[in-house]
Amino acid sequence: MTEPFNVHCLLMCLFFYFRDRKEWADLEPVPQDDGPNPVVKIAYSEKFTDVFDMFRALLKNDEKSERAFALTAEAIELNAANYTVWHYRRVLLQALDKDLREEMKYITAIIEDQPKNYQVWHHRRMVVEWLKDPSEELQFVSETLSQDAKNYHAWQHRQWVIQEYKLWDGELEYVEELLEEDVRNNSAWNQRHFVISHTSGYSDPAILDREVQYTLKQIKKAPHNESAWNYLKGILQDGGLSSYPGLLEQVTELQDTCSSPYLTAFLVDLYEDALETNNSSYDQQETLNKALELCKLLAEEKDTIRKEYWNYVSRSLIFWSVLPNSAQTVTVHGFLYVQK
Amino acid sequence: MLTIVFFALSGLDVLDALDVVDKPSLIEWIYSLQVLPTDDKSNLSRCGFRGSSHIGVPYNSSKGPGAPHTYDSGHVAMTYTGLACLVILGDDLSRVCREACLAGLRALQLEDGSFYAVPEGSENDMRFVYCAACICFMLDDWSGMDRQRAIDYIRRSTSYDSGIGQGAGLESHGGSTFCAVASLCMMGNLQEVFSERELKRIRRWCILRQQNGFHGRPNKPVDTCYSFWVGATLELLDVFQYTNFEKNRSYILSTQDRLVGGFAKWPDSHPDPLHTYFGICGLSLMGEAELQKVHPALNISVRAFESLRRLHEAWRQKST
Repeated sequence: MTEPFNVHCLLMCLFFYFRDRKEWADLEPVPQDDGPNPVVKIAYSEKFTDVFDMFRALLKNDEKSERAFALTAEAIELNAANYTVWHYRRVLLQALDKDLREEMKYITAIIEDQPKNYQVWHHRRMVVEWLKDPSEELQFVSETLSQDAKNYHAWQHRQWVIQEYKLWDGELEYVEELLEEDVRNNSAWNQRHFVISHTSGYSDPAILDREVQYTLKQIKKAPHNESAWNYLKGILQDGGLSSYPGLLEQVTELQDTCSSPYLTAFLVDLYEDALETNNSSYDQQETLNKALELCKLLAEEKDTIRKEYWNYVSRSLIFWSVLPNSAQTVTVHGFLYVQK
Repeated sequence: MLTIVFFALSGLDVLDALDVVDKPSLIEWIYSLQVLPTDDKSNLSRCGFRGSSHIGVPYNSSKGPGAPHTYDSGHVAMTYTGLACLVILGDDLSRVCREACLAGLRALQLEDGSFYAVPEGSENDMRFVYCAACICFMLDDWSGMDRQRAIDYIRRSTSYDSGIGQGAGLESHGGSTFCAVASLCMMGNLQEVFSERELKRIRRWCILRQQNGFHGRPNKPVDTCYSFWVGATLELLDVFQYTNFEKNRSYILSTQDRLVGGFAKWPDSHPDPLHTYFGICGLSLMGEAELQKVHPALNISVRAFESLRRLHEAWRQKST
């Protein structure tokens, strides 16, 4: 019967230091030299010192050999964040013409173990580039995302693969799956925007409206979801929130059942757009008053943590509304401001 | 590792406790991490500071030329933190090979305006744009980068939600938003690069990050370090004053380890130098008693920033 912990201890005690190995006898280990007053005195284990003393020796001679390649794996196991080791391993992969498919298996295992390390993802990208083969990547990233659906490295790698190898097909479907699982996954919303802006784009009114309807549907399912509201605003604001047909009505309709600070803020932004663009469909005075009322609602009731901010927004709205571009007289809180 | 030394040193500076360290020894050690130009100056594009002595180059506290080594090159984050540490320690940077550092920096910039960390290649993103901006700022010399390209990279990294991601198309994030905004502030270009309307939207994105403490992305849990990344960004945008100080402060303090000291990302978690440093800085932004003020763009104490400014005055006078 195996007892893994005891076996592990035994193996640690039995670790055959490189400095004692016959096949390494020709190489003089190189210690780290921090001079007379070392600042950061890390208590490296014996094994760590042994491996890295040998690593430094290999680097010094720029040795290109199988034993060097094997040592990089040991070094990586001890510290996968050492970018010099990874670079050296890549030099060896090329110099020794190593099997890159094997390397893919290797890096897959390392990333599974340490999915938030920068060096391992960069290494994978390099190997994929050398192989010119992205065929495993989307599957691999999906698996990583199934463990942590917001892993920034994973999403970054995914976007790189898709853009580099034009693997846009099926990505919108993948995004929708993720949003089904968690409609609050901000990374998935971002990916939605990434895919659409690089494929169909948003300029076709049919597509834009499809996205608006999709987003409103998600909002109805989970009203308190900043990601959905950010997406809605993001795709519409360049065209002007107050100009989008039926938008004010559709959002106002949601106020009773799907109220949230995001909905209220969205209306503030819509009204602000009407003021800034001097939208003739809106009564400027009434619009300003509505916007100020909503800011007050946010400050006092719906988003009190940002009370001071919403008061600041109110002041800004008033300030900008009395500037010369609006050729109107504006009444605020009973004071009459006359435009010159 | 130099970045960890930076957290410790700058943290002590903000705590007004730098007297506990042996400044001259530290300064020597930091200078020993400089990748110096070799006699024949063939390695200029690899100059800067290394993170540690781990590749085995013989000790040299920047006295004399560098020893050639195939794998010896600087790392942009180490050059940034190395210079910052020297400034904090009151050093006059006279042993910094400015031209070599700037050449090393130029070699790291890509066509899209972003930067690698090392000349051998690495990932490239907004973190290294920030490091590069800090280096140019501290050396008072923007020849280290093509500013317009860096600005273009920042603009292209701005998301549909008006936060800023690590690169074009990537999810907006509190860390990269700080890196971008702080870089533009150091360049002196914030208001030229973003319109007032765009700035308004960035302010909104940032201020929505406050939950009690701050998080880095919508619908993610809060984390102590974002009290600085997002807090400092809000300060640079003139609206930090409108955040809720009590809730922010309460959160940061809840992540303190009462046994060992320091701060963690979450309550009841292990503290580490990074979260401790940024927890302290997050409190400093709110004017916490007994803490020195922190410069929100350069991320060193205002006191250290002032000594850097005096150094720049002296350099400029000398050159006229």
